Amino acid sequence: MIPAKKLLNTLTEHWGVLELLFKRFKMADFSLKDVQNAIKQKQPSWSNERIYKETNRLLNQDIIIPLAKSSQLEINRAIADFATFLLQEEHLGLAQEISVLVDDLARLGNRLAKAGEIEDYDELRRFSRIMDDRVRKIMKLFAHNENAILNIVEQAKADNAVQSLQKRYQAVIEAFDEYIEPMLEMVDIRGDFHACFNTIEAQISTQIEQIDRLGKSYQDKRMLEQLRTRILEMHLVGRESLRKSADMLMPLREELRRNNLITRQAAKVLGLVRKNGVDNMLSAVQPNFVSDAQRFSLGQQRHIVAYMAGLVDFEHDEYQLPEHDDVPAYQSPHIPDYNDVKTQFRKRFKKASKKAQPLLSFLDESYPDLEADEMLFLYQKLISDGDLEISQSQEKVKIKIAQQHFSLYPFNSSIADDKKATEQ
Amino acid sequence: MTDINLDDLTHLQAINKKLTSGYHISEQDTLMWQELDQHIDAYRALFNALGHDLQHDSRGFYYFGSDESTPNMGKISRAIALTIYILIEHYANTGKDPMRALFDEVNDLELMQTLVQINKHLFDQLEIFSGSDLRKDVYLRMVRLGLAREVENGFMLQAPIYRYIDALMEVNEETYLGDDE
Repeated sequence: MIPAKKLLNTLTEHWGVLELLFKRFKMADFSLKDVQNAIKQKQPSWSNERIYKETNRLLNQDIIIPLAKSSQLEINRAIADFATFLLQEEHLGLAQEISVLVDDLARLGNRLAKAGEIEDYDELRRFSRIMDDRVRKIMKLFAHNENAILNIVEQAKADNAVQSLQKRYQAVIEAFDEYIEPMLEMVDIRGDFHACFNTIEAQISTQIEQIDRLGKSYQDKRMLEQLRTRILEMHLVGRESLRKSADMLMPLREELRRNNLITRQAAKVLGLVRKNGVDNMLSAVQPNFVSDAQRFSLGQQRHIVAYMAGLVDFEHDEYQLPEHDDVPAYQSPHIPDYNDVKTQFRKRFKKASKKAQPLLSFLDESYPDLEADEMLFLYQKLISDGDLEISQSQEKVKIKIAQQHFSLYPFNSSIADDKKATEQ
Repeated sequence: MTDINLDDLTHLQAINKKLTSGYHISEQDTLMWQELDQHIDAYRALFNALGHDLQHDSRGFYYFGSDESTPNMGKISRAIALTIYILIEHYANTGKDPMRALFDEVNDLELMQTLVQINKHLFDQLEIFSGSDLRKDVYLRMVRLGLAREVENGFMLQAPIYRYIDALMEVNEETYLGDDE
């Protein structure tokens, strides 16, 4: 028996060499010369003698063992497993591995129940321990396989395009058909896996109740509870891990399927084209492009439709033609109310009627802010008003209002009263 | 009704110019692509009103859809289609993953010569007789349509090529326009 510590020391010292051997030869055998070369590569300064000594050390400690009936060597299986774990170079296991363990778990569950019935607590403890061990093993397998699938996916993705499709995806297809699918079937809610766990869980729960009721061997209760939790967790972890693995593989599988489809279709179409001619075969399906020639013309039906649609909408939606009678007369905001003007006019010219007053100068004085046209508007309103007494002058007069000059025959405030008075 | 603020559409002129000439704007045209991506509703409404049919393909490109081509453009499109299908077959025959190689490999003059040599019978129908004919008549036009981009010593195909792959999947005996039809 080699002391563990001594072995570990050798391993740390020669880990580089072992890793090299492991990666280069994978699981295959190699010769003594290969080992010596590997050591030489890692430690170029060492003398031949030293290398020979170190090689012997690896051999003596059973890290490297000779193959049966051969001078070839291989890495000790236990060490190789350890290395795969450390380097995450895991290879996909079989779905059967897990299903065997689950079957065993079911068997142990039955034994556990029986031991509980006859109150053999030693047996109970023993089975619970073995079951615990199995559950851990299954969990380890799940993790291991998930890593392996990750490796497969990475490889399939990283490989350069030089490799053929078939080769590139071979591992993916295998992983899917040989691991994921059977596993998914097993984990399915109506599958054996589920039923088995339900039974085991029920069995353990019964035991726990029993212990609670009888009050015997209380410390076993904790162990059973732990086992139950672990089994539930395993179920969950397994489902989770499978889902993740399937998610990783699925796109690649789809890709392969699609690529195969496209390649096949391309070959078929080219065959048809060879037989029937390019234009006959491809005219109907060719993608069309908008081209420069169409750019400046209403070349396409769609353009004309858009043009017509544009015509329909030509009038702005919100614009409504007004009805004839609900148009209020336009009034400039500055113009004062006509009635006020009229009252003021009357007030002013009631008494001062000796001399004819030009209407315009009255407006100019009273409303100095108004524009000329606004003033004229009031002027024409006043002169056409029948209520007021005004008279038109006989002479053309030039008048300046609001900085504008007008020449007109102005209307003046009436002096008719006076005239009448004098005439009479 | 979408409110369109023309001030927001800073690359309208460039985009309009490209799209109306049949160009496909893909992710490689960073500026225009981002602009379209951000204001897609406004652009779609605007171009729709002008009678264009702005299409967005989720594989990463924009273009104006069209139901018909001018005879000249139709001929170009068929030449491109044939080239792509031959490329797919060529990659598959040489044991490569065709969909990956299609977008990852540089198409150089040597490849073009090989393609024309192997498929002389087919390219003859399109009056393409040599690798440089193929370059001039197909690849340079693909660049102009945004289907490919020029790189150091050849061309790289871009996402809009998927339009041809979709078309490929549509071909069957029924699409044959025989003389009797």
